[in-house]
Amino acid sequence: MAGSNKETSQNFVSNPRRIPAMALLMPLMLSVLAPVSLIAPVDAQESDSGMAPEDIWSEEYSNQIFPWGGNDRLQFREYHDYFTMKDRMQQLADQNGDIMSFHEGLVGGVNARGQEMGTDDYEGWYYNHASPWIKMTGGGEELEGVSGGDCNVFVGDCGNYEELPDVMLVGNHHAREWMSYEVPMLFLETVAYYYGMAGVDNDGDGLIDEDGWDGIDNDGDCLRLNSSYQDSNGDGIPCGPGDLGVDEDFSEQFITDMVNTREIYLIPMLNVDGNRYDREEYCGESAWESCYRSGWRKNLRDNTVTGVTPLPDIDEQVDPTCDGVDLNRNYQYEWGAPLGATGPLFPGMCYAGEAGANNDVYNGPVDTVDQDEDGRLNEDHVDGKDDDADGLTDEDWLGGNSEPETKFIQDMTEMNDDNGDGSSEFKSTLTWHSYSELVLWPWGHCQDCDNPDQEFLEYHGNLMGDMTAYAPMQSSDLYPTTGDFCDWHYGVHDSYCYTMEIGIAFHEFPEDIAHTAVRNLGVPFYMIEIADDPRYRAVVGIENTTASQWLASPDLVSVPSNGEIPIDFCLDSTFPYTTNMTYTHLMWRFVEPTRQQDDFGPTEWITVPWKMSGFVDVGNSCELLDGSNGTVLQAQIPVPDSSVGKIHYKAMLGTTNGAFPFSYPTVEEGPNYYELSVPYRASFGSAVLALLMFSLIATMVWGGLGYTLKEMFNDERDVLGLPPEMRNLEEA
Amino acid sequence: MEAKGEAGSDEFSGRLGLIFATIGAAIGTGNIWRFPRMVGANGGGSFLVPWLIFLFLWSVPLIIAEFALGKRSRTGTVGTFRIFAGNRFAWMGLWTAWISTAIGFYYAVVTGWCINYFQTAVRGGLGSEVDTVQVWNDFLQDPSQVIFFQTLSVLITMAAIWKGAKAIEKVNVTLMVSLFILLFAALFLSFVMDLDDGTLDGFIYMFSIQPEYLTQPETWINGLSQSAWSCSAGMGMAITYSVYMRKDEDTTLNAATMCLANNSISIIAGLTVMMAVFSVSDDPLGAVSGGSSAITFLVLPEVFAQAPGGPVVQLLMVTMFFLALSFAALTSMISTVELCVRNFVDHGIERKKAVGFTTLAIFLFGLPSAALWILVDPDTGVAFPQFLEVQDHIWGYGLMFSGLFIAYSIWKYGWNRYRVWQDENDITGFSFRDYLDNGVSSFRDDFINTGDNDWWIGKWWDYIMYLGFPIMFGVLILSYFSDLILNVNNPWDPTNADGITIILLFWGITAGLFVSMNKYILVNRVLSMNGTIWPPSWDLEPRPLYRNVPVGAEVSIDTLPGGEDPFIVEVGESLPETFVNEYGETQTHTLHQLPWSSQS
Repeated sequence: MAGSNKETSQNFVSNPRRIPAMALLMPLMLSVLAPVSLIAPVDAQESDSGMAPEDIWSEEYSNQIFPWGGNDRLQFREYHDYFTMKDRMQQLADQNGDIMSFHEGLVGGVNARGQEMGTDDYEGWYYNHASPWIKMTGGGEELEGVSGGDCNVFVGDCGNYEELPDVMLVGNHHAREWMSYEVPMLFLETVAYYYGMAGVDNDGDGLIDEDGWDGIDNDGDCLRLNSSYQDSNGDGIPCGPGDLGVDEDFSEQFITDMVNTREIYLIPMLNVDGNRYDREEYCGESAWESCYRSGWRKNLRDNTVTGVTPLPDIDEQVDPTCDGVDLNRNYQYEWGAPLGATGPLFPGMCYAGEAGANNDVYNGPVDTVDQDEDGRLNEDHVDGKDDDADGLTDEDWLGGNSEPETKFIQDMTEMNDDNGDGSSEFKSTLTWHSYSELVLWPWGHCQDCDNPDQEFLEYHGNLMGDMTAYAPMQSSDLYPTTGDFCDWHYGVHDSYCYTMEIGIAFHEFPEDIAHTAVRNLGVPFYMIEIADDPRYRAVVGIENTTASQWLASPDLVSVPSNGEIPIDFCLDSTFPYTTNMTYTHLMWRFVEPTRQQDDFGPTEWITVPWKMSGFVDVGNSCELLDGSNGTVLQAQIPVPDSSVGKIHYKAMLGTTNGAFPFSYPTVEEGPNYYELSVPYRASFGSAVLALLMFSLIATMVWGGLGYTLKEMFNDERDVLGLPPEMRNLEEA
Repeated sequence: MEAKGEAGSDEFSGRLGLIFATIGAAIGTGNIWRFPRMVGANGGGSFLVPWLIFLFLWSVPLIIAEFALGKRSRTGTVGTFRIFAGNRFAWMGLWTAWISTAIGFYYAVVTGWCINYFQTAVRGGLGSEVDTVQVWNDFLQDPSQVIFFQTLSVLITMAAIWKGAKAIEKVNVTLMVSLFILLFAALFLSFVMDLDDGTLDGFIYMFSIQPEYLTQPETWINGLSQSAWSCSAGMGMAITYSVYMRKDEDTTLNAATMCLANNSISIIAGLTVMMAVFSVSDDPLGAVSGGSSAITFLVLPEVFAQAPGGPVVQLLMVTMFFLALSFAALTSMISTVELCVRNFVDHGIERKKAVGFTTLAIFLFGLPSAALWILVDPDTGVAFPQFLEVQDHIWGYGLMFSGLFIAYSIWKYGWNRYRVWQDENDITGFSFRDYLDNGVSSFRDDFINTGDNDWWIGKWWDYIMYLGFPIMFGVLILSYFSDLILNVNNPWDPTNADGITIILLFWGITAGLFVSMNKYILVNRVLSMNGTIWPPSWDLEPRPLYRNVPVGAEVSIDTLPGGEDPFIVEVGESLPETFVNEYGETQTHTLHQLPWSSQS
């Protein structure tokens, strides 16, 4: 082209075609690109029925992607196995060393029954793994964490605090019930990720903590979806638990509070032996294809004592299922009571062949030790009664707690005695099973038999049923069981114990793991919450006293012309509230407009962390919502008089026995805090000084302007600021 | 056209014309709604301290620089950077013009709001009985109304600049004088209102120093940003208007006058708003500092409707206020469009054509801001234009870089002069002392203290341009971005309209585009050898730049990078016939036969 320039240059003149200078306008196109490249923000006005998940929520939430990232297993698209689960537990415990410690089995020593226990006594019969578990606590008020507090040599953990309630969460008693360790793992991931956070918008809809765990679509976002999206888990219930948009934006502060005020013992996979066998031998890796509703249930005790082949010995002549013990029939309370359908005909007996149809629930061998050394064997069975009228109760049992796994639960329960009173610390206990979509509570060993806490157990059970849309019932209403985890915890240790029957199969399809686990996520948090005093919480919940009490809403607060702002809290004087600030306090934060506002958008606010103020009884009375008289507690919010903005506040109400917290405003009242506008209350300044300042500014600005104008039109002018040497130069 | 017909150049009739035009450009809605909010949010009188200090540290020096640049280059922003920073940096001028124009897209919409509020007020639609939120939402959510008034503002602007400098000057003088009168009258009424409750608390708050605010960095940063925005320093507006300066015009005292006038109006408008709001509102500071344009369109009509003296005075007050606001917005709009138009005229495009398609573009590209994404704030139920806000979010701080580019061309000039001085005196090696004496001060010596000025500028200006400016620039940019990082959720999410990534993305794309077009569009023209755009057979020739030099104002630009470019000519001069292309061959320029006069 360069070479031809000279010849063609004439053509240039005659035939120049300019690229239009309009090309200069190209950048203007940028402005047009803007709307295309932005994803339209959610229109606050639109609430038509035809929305897709992405219209309401973040892309991540719409696709149920958990915020901690990771591979399919960590995203609950694929099952953990024992090894990957253990690795992840260790990893999370390492990353959250202040609140979590990882353990396997127990260290051992002399247990509460005077037996010498070694570490290997808690290891599975065949593969020799002890159950991995995580101890979790923030360490109470001082936040001393999981390595503070007392250390327990037998159990092997630290972070034991007398004042903190303990809660035990156990998964996978039964090897084939894989969801029963996936749910605890989701619980663990959730705590690890959200602990210490607050005010996270989990679903990306611009609202915060608007839909907590209760099984209800509190913010109505699921209902705004096109109906084809409303049943995302395909269980036939639109906008029910486990569906996208239901219970999706829980309070991170609640999680943090719970971890800080409880000791949580999480044992995701109790029956490691059985689980490995189920996965590696019995059903295989893709168990949902081969064993959707079947699989290996028990542990790997060698009942036939062949001791040679992998257990259970498949090539045994006798029924191979005769090996292994059903761990959830092996606990001692009413162990082995003959109940027909779901227990062996005779306790401790395993039959081959047709007669052994119930070997799947084989409850372990009959005890052969005379525990009280009185020469009589098994004369006082564990049932809470003094069967032999010798003044001792349940001292010489018939059987049960014979397995490494159940011994582990037994000793963890009996040796984790923070206050040294000999009774269990676990006021609430939870165990996960599958399947059937049920919430079960004691008793299991007897039918049509009420227990002393019937009403209260029902209360919590129904709530958890609401939370999951699972059917709540007493365990034996499903079918009678003896020697199960909950009968033992409730019967022997007075612990409110629940069994969750998760899902619709033993081996759910991998694509169902995530939503099924999400559906069950609220339950462990609920059990943790009530662990301080489940009985008391049920009483209060049933009587609903807390509902008649109120925290002053903004229209009832009068902001004084200066100083602290008092907030009233009207309580039933019969309600055993405490004014201990740890349990009862006003939480508040000041929210002010940012100093750098956008010129055209809505006001932008700076939010700050919550602070606490204690309540004081000021001796006034008030009217409760049910019309009766109440007592006024008052808290003060210290806000400088010169502040302008909003105060968010809410009250936490604790009771004398440490139950914590009931929060106000209550969930029924809408958002979980009130918002109070605070005007500028300080003096506007002194008139004299203001006049002085005004004169100064006016002189500088208006005077300056006048001066420059005068100089401008002064023709005789001298150049302002001209240095003398320059002037001389100019004159010269 | 008249002026052009005779001399081929265009100029203001006198000093007052220039002053009024620049004041009109500087005074905008920012003085009237942003300033009172800043005062309210930053501790009243405490805010005035940094605000005033930065007037002299930032606005005045930058405006002086702009005047000096424009008066010498006699071209708009693109030409100025081409001449002062060299051909490779012409894109900086395009950036400056673009930022101003991009702001103009939505500013026309905002101007339309003001005009609408004026006409609503006249018709009695802002009386004490109306719900101002309702009025606002009804208006904003009706695209036909918003677009109608946007069109109106664009048309008025177009009419004002159609005929060039003299007309711009006339419109500005009229509007500014009216604005002063209107604001003074409103101030008087406000004063009566505030005095009425016996406290004058609005006045007192505005002029009371709260010492704790003076120790907070935000107060200083906000003082700086208000100073930087309010005077339009760095926006290129002063460069544009100084093109029309007469030959011996002052550039320094004018700058000071303009900035002081701007701040004077801020105080008057600020006092008017503060006193009125304080006299009526229970939570005046909440109302004033509550952000956004809400104070103007929601609070003030409500406040003015309670003015003493009955319905007539109330009507008068609200009408006067919104008329003043409309005038302030219109004069800024005029300078914005003129800035863009000037760049086209510089490159040989007929003024009317340039005005025509610039205003058309401003109208078209303002449409999304007018009508797209009109949302309602769920907290308050007040509608707001999300798209417009995003535009403001993206381009508002781009202004900072325009200022930086101006400073850059000054630094560059200083360094070049130092190297020339070294060559002349056969000195090698760097000496800081010599650099100070022969480099740093050279811009001031050569272009500011030219003998035309009423105010001789001392070394302090060098210190500000070389030291103060980069520091202030850094503080502003850093504080802005750290504010975004700290106070915005997911600031790095590119789809977050309030985030950082979106700003950086748009800046990056724009700057990248401008840099890459520099050679092909700004400095050279692309010629098609085969008469079609595709298949490509393209060649480059230098793009001529026509300087608007009034009679008798010829000054040499030889010492500047652009002085060596034969295709930078004065209007009326003919272009060289040939040029040497990048292969070293001599080539005929296609425009040499088409002198300026026959083109226009």
